[in-house]
Amino acid sequence: MMYFISDVQGLALCLLQAVILLAAAPLITGIVKKVKALLQNRIGSSIFQEYYDIKKWWGKPTMVTPYTSALFRLAPCVYFVTTLAAACMLPNFFGGRAGFGDVFVFVYILALGRFFMAVSSMDAATAFGGMGGSREVYVAAFVEPVIMLAVLSNVLHTGSTSLSGMSLRFDEVNLTVAGVLTCIAFFLVLLAENSRIPVDNPDTHLELTMIHECMTLEYSGRLLALIHWASQLKLLVFLLLFSMLYLPLDLPVVLKVLLSAVAVGVVETLNNKMRLFKVRVYLAAAGLMLLLAVVAQ
Amino acid sequence: MECFLLAAACFGVGILTLLFPHSLQRYAHWLANGAALIGSGITAYKAWTLLAGASVVPLAWGSYSWVCDSWSAVFLLLTGIAGVITSLYALGYAQSYEGSRMRLLGGMWNLFLLSMILVLLAGDAFSFLLFWEIMAVASFMLVNHESEKRSTWTAAYQYLVMTSVGTAAIMIAFLLTGSASSNFSFAAMADNKLDILWQHVVFACAFSGFALKAGLVPLHVWLPNAHPAAPSHVSALMSGVMLKIAFYGFGRFMFSFLPVWNYWWCVIVMVVGAVSAFLGVLYAQMENDIKRILAYSSVENMGVIFAAFGCGMLLKVLAGGSWYYLGFVAALVHAFNHSIMKVLMFMSAGSIMHGTGSKNIELFGGLAKKMPYTALFTFVGSMALAAIPLTNGFTGEWLVLQSFITLISANSAQITRLWAALCFVLLGFTGALALGCFVRLFGISFLGRARSELVEHAHESDKFMLAAMGLSSALVLICGIYPLPVVQAVCAALKLDNEFAVQGFSLAWAGSGSLSVFNPLLLLLLVAVISAAVYLFTNNIFVEQNVTWNCGTYPTERQQYSATGFSKPVRRAFDYLLKPKRQVSYMRKDHAYFGRQLSYKLEIPDMITEKLYQPVQKHFVGISTFLRRMQQGSVRLYVSYVMATMVLVLVWGALYK
Repeated sequence: MMYFISDVQGLALCLLQAVILLAAAPLITGIVKKVKALLQNRIGSSIFQEYYDIKKWWGKPTMVTPYTSALFRLAPCVYFVTTLAAACMLPNFFGGRAGFGDVFVFVYILALGRFFMAVSSMDAATAFGGMGGSREVYVAAFVEPVIMLAVLSNVLHTGSTSLSGMSLRFDEVNLTVAGVLTCIAFFLVLLAENSRIPVDNPDTHLELTMIHECMTLEYSGRLLALIHWASQLKLLVFLLLFSMLYLPLDLPVVLKVLLSAVAVGVVETLNNKMRLFKVRVYLAAAGLMLLLAVVAQ
Repeated sequence: MECFLLAAACFGVGILTLLFPHSLQRYAHWLANGAALIGSGITAYKAWTLLAGASVVPLAWGSYSWVCDSWSAVFLLLTGIAGVITSLYALGYAQSYEGSRMRLLGGMWNLFLLSMILVLLAGDAFSFLLFWEIMAVASFMLVNHESEKRSTWTAAYQYLVMTSVGTAAIMIAFLLTGSASSNFSFAAMADNKLDILWQHVVFACAFSGFALKAGLVPLHVWLPNAHPAAPSHVSALMSGVMLKIAFYGFGRFMFSFLPVWNYWWCVIVMVVGAVSAFLGVLYAQMENDIKRILAYSSVENMGVIFAAFGCGMLLKVLAGGSWYYLGFVAALVHAFNHSIMKVLMFMSAGSIMHGTGSKNIELFGGLAKKMPYTALFTFVGSMALAAIPLTNGFTGEWLVLQSFITLISANSAQITRLWAALCFVLLGFTGALALGCFVRLFGISFLGRARSELVEHAHESDKFMLAAMGLSSALVLICGIYPLPVVQAVCAALKLDNEFAVQGFSLAWAGSGSLSVFNPLLLLLLVAVISAAVYLFTNNIFVEQNVTWNCGTYPTERQQYSATGFSKPVRRAFDYLLKPKRQVSYMRKDHAYFGRQLSYKLEIPDMITEKLYQPVQKHFVGISTFLRRMQQGSVRLYVSYVMATMVLVLVWGALYK
């Protein structure tokens, strides 16, 4: 019981961290958008635009198709909750101890949210929803093994499977071949997992190019706000993971996160969205790099 | 042993209901399934006390002997629990077989359960093989129950032939081991004096025989045919328990008879397991028949179990020390959990078939409104099979991944690391594809709108079936949120002191240097806290109901995504493995662009059947045709054969006196 109480204390600190990350998440997405706009010679919207959008959706009514079941309203909430739970699992900057799981729990708690979103995509009985769900699970089928390999490579380097243990032992100036390969590969996976160009395009509403947006097409109002907010939080969580566990630069974490957010913007500007069936080649490249990194260590 | 005798007596009563007259078949049904329920309950209870430290007096009867050690106790527990759940389900489900050999179903059901329990209790090679064969025959009878359908008896005979081949291999393994020991009791066979070469032969025979029964690739081909053909509660028991009994037998050989393991055996077990897991789930996602999906998913999960076991073997061979048990714990925990969730899912499939009369998910849609409880239970089962946290599917997955991480970081030999990393990647694929597979199964069947009028007439199942499904869903969630009892039972079965550091309610593992923790209860607490907060914000949202915007027309049911369409991206991504045969044709006389009548045909032949079994079959038939020339049916020819043989014998005798 004693352990349980100390765990609950740690949990509260982790929740505090997650709430701060939640508050910062729209800003990061705003920065990525601003970078893209500037690179495209546009002024672009303010970096706070995402906050205004969430506020706007929050006040709007939700439109629901009569064919849907209770799952339709549940899914965005679960997606939001699981992303927030994943944010709790990041190494804590208040020194709290998240004793409820390691990196595998982190990967699979995100899978819980994905499961609900993909299932609910079929609830509105439209072709778009099913298309989105289908593509989402297809991309996930290739992303997940690569993430597993990235985890493995990191475990070999740091000797721990808990996220805080990994970050504590992560040697920031260790520029080995394995370290650099892992860093590049994780960045590729980060783009795929967060539905960014070149795998998915978050800014489009064209049926041929959408993946994640397709699933959320039937949502509106507060539920849509939850989904967008959770997606932004997920991007921030992955950027943080990338900065703390994979980017071998000796800089403060905040700077590294900003740097990688800018990198996302640059990569999105320089590349086109690739064809859906090329995604497997893209992720296989990341996987092979990681396999090399694993064997090389 | 008295408890087990009592259980056996219950099953005996159940078998005797076969003798009831036809007019009393309803009573026979209640008595048979009730007896099976009580017998399984007694077995589960006794097995639990065994794992808690009680012991059993061995029983001998002539040359047959029955013993129960901790390795069999954990499987007895699994059989007992699954038996209780499925017998409860059968009380409702088997009623629909009234008038079509209902007494046979009840009697064989009891025989099947009894034979599985006696296989687990067998203390010598002969009783093992005897009950192993009775198990095969009883399950054959059950698979063949609806023998009016051609597909059913083809599947049943395929199963019978394959399982006989498997038994032959197992028999060779037993005979070789027994002939190198003083007698055929398991205790004597444990000190066998097999030399290295024969050990390889015994391993090859035992592994192929048990892998066939467990449905590992490439010996799985009977499984996706036989399991769907059987009545649903039988499929549940076959997938949930019978496959695990094969794992029990393999473990028995490995732990008792072949204690010194070759490096390559371990690699073979691990790689075959991982490949089975991957191919199983890949084919599962391509199927539209709900029971075939579940059957392929069983191939996947048996693959995961064997991969974890192989990983444990490698850890023991290479690392030594106290680390190796993690792979075995993972394999056993996953075997236990999988039996509960697979039983649940087959029962759900049975309910859907009962309610709609079809197994094709392409015809469903919107079933959640007609069968709300079945929908809820199927959702829990789908999450478990997709290894989602807070269900018991994830506990096994977490342990399996931990054991692979331990193997890879414990061993510096790069070739081993590469093998293990490749298996690890395959297991990663398996997890993600399983998620897609069960999203598809649940979403297409239960959500959206009805795709055919079958759904309009669908009805919810009766209270026995719902109670059984509810019970197993509860077990799935309880074992997911509080996994310690299962893990401790498994540690007891492997005769490990509780190696998992128990902190509060978490699983903690300190093998590879630092602590890995999984505390589902705390995770649940966290999720509950955040959910409560989210609920506060979203419960009073203003909802407007309106039909989906469809460019000015009303959307039809046909515009929904189909199950075949849903799995298309994965099918295309793995087309070099699946080799789908696709045929699209359209009526030419219609308008060239609009309103054409299209017909779409898709077939995914099982690669293994086509590449491995069909050539063998072709050669077999070829050789038979050739040999037929000797069998002309003419008496004169046979007399000349006798004559020729006699001359040969005489000459041989004259030459070698």
